[in-house]
Amino acid sequence: MEKILGKTKIDDWVAALSDHPQEVGRGCKAAEAATTTHWQVSAPVLEDGIWSYQSGSGSVQLEHSNTTQPPKGFSFPQREVFFSFEQIKGEPPKLTQKLPQATRHAVFGVRPCDGCGAVRMDKVFSDHVADTYYTARRSNVAYVGLACNQPQGINCFCLSVGGSPVSSDGMDVLMTDLGDRYFVAAVTDTGKALMAAGNSVFSEPTAADRKQLQQTHAEAIAQPQRAINNLDAAPAKLKASFDSPLWEELARACIGCGVCTFLCPTCHCFDINDENTSATPIKGNRVRTWDNCQFPDFTMHTSGHNPRESLGSRLRQRVSHKFQYFHENFGMPQCTGCGRCITECSVGIDIVNVVNKVAEHAG
Amino acid sequence: MINIQDMRDTARGLLTKKEVRAVIGYRRSTNGMLAEPVVITDPAQADELIWDPTCFHNLSLYLVEDRKFLTHVRKTADAPIAIVAKGCDARSIVVLMQEHYFERKDVYIIGMSCEGSGVLDERKLAAKGIRATDAAFDGDDFVFATAQGEQRIAAREVMADRCLECREPFPKEHNAVLGENKTGRELNAPFTALHRFEELDAGARWKFWEHQFERCIRCFACRSVCPMCYCEECVVDSISFPVTGQTSAEEKANRVRWIERSATRPENMTYHMTRVLHLAGRCIDCNECERVCPVNIPLRLLNNKMEREAREEFGYEPGASIGGPSLTASFLDTDPGKFIR
Repeated sequence: MEKILGKTKIDDWVAALSDHPQEVGRGCKAAEAATTTHWQVSAPVLEDGIWSYQSGSGSVQLEHSNTTQPPKGFSFPQREVFFSFEQIKGEPPKLTQKLPQATRHAVFGVRPCDGCGAVRMDKVFSDHVADTYYTARRSNVAYVGLACNQPQGINCFCLSVGGSPVSSDGMDVLMTDLGDRYFVAAVTDTGKALMAAGNSVFSEPTAADRKQLQQTHAEAIAQPQRAINNLDAAPAKLKASFDSPLWEELARACIGCGVCTFLCPTCHCFDINDENTSATPIKGNRVRTWDNCQFPDFTMHTSGHNPRESLGSRLRQRVSHKFQYFHENFGMPQCTGCGRCITECSVGIDIVNVVNKVAEHAG
Repeated sequence: MINIQDMRDTARGLLTKKEVRAVIGYRRSTNGMLAEPVVITDPAQADELIWDPTCFHNLSLYLVEDRKFLTHVRKTADAPIAIVAKGCDARSIVVLMQEHYFERKDVYIIGMSCEGSGVLDERKLAAKGIRATDAAFDGDDFVFATAQGEQRIAAREVMADRCLECREPFPKEHNAVLGENKTGRELNAPFTALHRFEELDAGARWKFWEHQFERCIRCFACRSVCPMCYCEECVVDSISFPVTGQTSAEEKANRVRWIERSATRPENMTYHMTRVLHLAGRCIDCNECERVCPVNIPLRLLNNKMEREAREEFGYEPGASIGGPSLTASFLDTDPGKFIR
């Protein structure tokens, strides 16, 4: 399904989605569908000096550069309660599972690198065992992507990790800015349903629209980006460089914070803790929170030994996971080239530079 | 005006004569026009060193890292380590020495006077719609290279607030120093940003901080970048619980956790309040914490508040003297006792 949407009509589409009872959703159960009637629309908003996804304004303006945080939190929130527990003395412990509420999110303005991020997150959370909590949320999230006619920042490199600024991977709908209107293409059945809900706000594309779309996409792909020199060689080069002294050198300025991973569209490591809310009787929640391979306690053993004590070994872990381990597991790099970890690093650690240097050093 | 070559020559000379074992300075990063920290040991690398308005970083953090590393490998240094330091950075080095983190002889300070200028606030530049590929000092101006050609802007228009309010843009503590001493230049009165914020009533301020702490993602960039946050173990990390073979599962589960991993508002607030209190009388307003925050939480307001309290109540200036008493470890008969009831 391909349509044209006048820029002034985007809020009419949003209104239609917000009001429209939604009947089909990916993998959702009938019971959930019956309790869910609307899409909650989220889109990038500039607040506190940063772009972030926010919902409820009813108005969507897609004039953003990419959001500081990727949209991964819609399906993998920073904090997820698994279950609550209660232990009254002499009684068996009472556990109550807390499945996420089935709110349907239509996320507008998702950039192609983050769409590709969703593809990778889906692999991680469905491989071998489907993660109940992730799946419950993910099945209720639809991504309405926006192609990048221009790179979003100076550190974009999607083209050199197998992506593209006009990629529809991971999207349900992909929109392309054609000046005064968007070219809107459904990618999945959910996408078709989203567009069907808007119905009359769209018009049929003309041959001229299609020609302009092709040209816009071609120009977008031709825009200069930063580059990983040889992606295909990276896994082997990294593997050969595990013991390289280069890692410590490249991580010399690293401060060991969590910016690079928390802002990454594909980092997914987590920690599980019990958070007590009452001591007598013992009550609380078992909670999953984001964790981070750059933190000092990430690999800390109970013995006090830390196999990844140095910042160099932590940088190696982050980069090797993106370009070697993930490739070994899923046949693609995990990194999608959004450039956030470079732009937001306060001390200049640069994943493009790191991969290129390590590869060069490995010979 | 500082000639960059003088700084490079100083670094090269120190390394050549082996007076220092390394120089911590700035070089051009691969992230656009920004500088990045670098540690050089070879005199030939001295020409990599740069000095421009993007030299934000308080490099004294790397003195702390160096000390931690030496302790870890059980080595003593055979020569001091040199560091390029602005006025604020030199004050933080003084605090670290006051706290006996290292001694004066361990460090060779290459002081850089900010003269009438300071470092750039990238957000102010972005707000002007300027995308620059290079930045340079030029007297009271910054000169930017852009796709449209050279652009000259009065430094005070895009300078960091902390630099506008800086009372000591000259590194008083130094071994060598470059640039003029323009202390007392007073671009903005001290605590201007704080005063402006405090015009809000208490209710509005509380709402403001509730909103800010809701947004924190607990990446700990603020803590990690802070030279004063050198504790071996931090309350937010769960590595401080000693575990032996006899530690039961229940003891492990019931260990005291001051702050949960969840990035929820109350936990975030506890984290930031703990940090700001630990920095009272120690924070020298380099404001790296606020600069590195990916979600722009205005942490400087909190640190400035503590700084002003210490100044007004106790006449205390952090980073003023290596041998002087520290705020929280000293007592004077003249200290106000009005909070003791």
